[in-house]
Amino acid sequence: MSTSASVYASVVFLKVHEFARGRVSEQARLRAQLEVVVAVTTAELAPSSRIVLDASDGAAIVVLADAPGALRLAERALNAAAAGLPLSAGINHGAVRLAGDGKGDEGLVGDGIAVAANVAEFAAPSCLLISRSFRDALADAAPGLESSMLTAGTFTDPGLREHELFAPDPFAARRRHRRYAALAVAAAIALFGAGAGVRISVEGQQRFVDRMETKYRDTAAQGERYLRGLVEKVKF
Amino acid sequence: MAKKKSGQIGRYKILGELGRGAMGVVYRAEDPALDRVVALKTILLTDDVEGREEYQTRFFLEAKAAGKLTHPHIVTTYDFGEQDGVAYLAMELLEGTDLRARIKQGALAAADAVDIAKQVAEALGFAHERGIVHRDIKPGNIMLLPRGQAKIMDFGLARMRVADHKTATGMVLGTPKYMSPEQVAGSPVDNRSDIFSLGIVLYEMLTGARLFAGEDMPQIMHNVTHAEHEPPTRANPALPAMLDFVVARALKKDPAVRYQDAYELAADLRTCLAELHGRTAPAGKGEASAVTKTIRIESTNGRAPPAPAVGAIAVDTRLPLSRQFNSGVALLRLASPARRDRDRLGRAPRPVGWLRRLRRDAGPRLVFVALVAAAAATYIAFG
Repeated sequence: MSTSASVYASVVFLKVHEFARGRVSEQARLRAQLEVVVAVTTAELAPSSRIVLDASDGAAIVVLADAPGALRLAERALNAAAAGLPLSAGINHGAVRLAGDGKGDEGLVGDGIAVAANVAEFAAPSCLLISRSFRDALADAAPGLESSMLTAGTFTDPGLREHELFAPDPFAARRRHRRYAALAVAAAIALFGAGAGVRISVEGQQRFVDRMETKYRDTAAQGERYLRGLVEKVKF
Repeated sequence: MAKKKSGQIGRYKILGELGRGAMGVVYRAEDPALDRVVALKTILLTDDVEGREEYQTRFFLEAKAAGKLTHPHIVTTYDFGEQDGVAYLAMELLEGTDLRARIKQGALAAADAVDIAKQVAEALGFAHERGIVHRDIKPGNIMLLPRGQAKIMDFGLARMRVADHKTATGMVLGTPKYMSPEQVAGSPVDNRSDIFSLGIVLYEMLTGARLFAGEDMPQIMHNVTHAEHEPPTRANPALPAMLDFVVARALKKDPAVRYQDAYELAADLRTCLAELHGRTAPAGKGEASAVTKTIRIESTNGRAPPAPAVGAIAVDTRLPLSRQFNSGVALLRLASPARRDRDRLGRAPRPVGWLRRLRRDAGPRLVFVALVAAAAATYIAFG
């Protein structure tokens, strides 16, 4: 048995719903469709970054050192599969290890795969769920991207392990941007106001107002002079 | 052991011994009334009077039920009876070899294996329709006759054997290599258990390898309930890919997602056979109706819940590489990572510190820039 050391990788598990219950001819059709979806979606990743594994009711794609790429892959796979393939996706970031008998029968094992399979199990068709560890990996690779993942609840798998899961929200990024913009404006105003407040408390209100008026007049005069000089230059 | 001194059991005249098993001896015997040679299977009854009566009653019930099965792929039971503590069963005498001996010589040709499995599936479908579950489908119970005909033996006898071998703790003895997960778990079984067993037999015929091997019984039982099989096409790439799906579905640990009907399995095997023969599957009238028919035989013990899904027991994490996609480059990276990869792949995700967040996250960066700008403006304005 040839094995390698464990590494941390993102595992995208694409699960075809009700695959096992379908007739065998139907299963063959779904499998062929899934292979097309996987081929299309993995094309964007570098061949050195992805390992495609067969699962009994879907496929697992192990993405090395590219958590945002794994997320994009899952989203693209769900979009590509929208017509006729009841696909759900689960992503986990965890340990995987190469295992095989050295006779061309290699495979991958690890908790990373097992949890991804469980996460995909919880996802409804056309839905994507991610685990807490993948969210952390996403934050590590692209800080801020994890904020577009909203909590979807805590699920207990058949092995009685609890998983805190998240689902992507397409509007979350925009909402967050707006929130931060508003916060930036409010913080700037607050800082400006605090500066004024401190001055007033140190100098007294009348003196502060007088000084501001003087400063304003000076600034206005300076501005006027500057403008006049500019006009002269243009005329020349 | 069971042979009478007179060389006769019941009305049957013993001609010779065919074999010996855990339950008794099988004789070649002659039925003088019909001038017919039969296989006479004897079963020793226990000495305990109470147990013996119960055993005998059950034996007669099972034998009577099995006797009703008249099918080209089921060994016909002619007669049964009891004499001097020996129960016997007169059955059709077959001239052939059992599948166990054939598999010992190696994997069967794909078409032969699929054909045998199809015949057995059809016979099982027939028996299941009549409420009879075999419970002990294994190569040793499948006879191969000349011209490729297969017949199932020992219908209904498995239950006798199980009862015979139960220990005081209720643990089932005997080989679990061909048992379904629910059977190994001691849960009630139904027709789907036979389908699982046939799936194992089919796998072994196709690959010539034992599916659930192990050093001892607990290990085999563990493998039956937990271990996932390799697709047969990995062992023999010449097999049609559809066989992978058929075997996978027959070997589902959870009976709810297994084939629910042996006829359904037979229909799929027929399609595989057609593919192997390079022609389209025959779609007979009767076959077409059998394809869509799903019959569920209620388990004998209605009190108990259905067998647990195997997902509730364990998850097998090993997944094989897809043959459709070349992952060689990434595997190489995984097997012998570069220094940079060792750092990146060898650690769990780190928490994001505020400095890194300011540098890489647009939102907090915006707030930070606004604050700096406001501070500068305040200084310029009031400083």
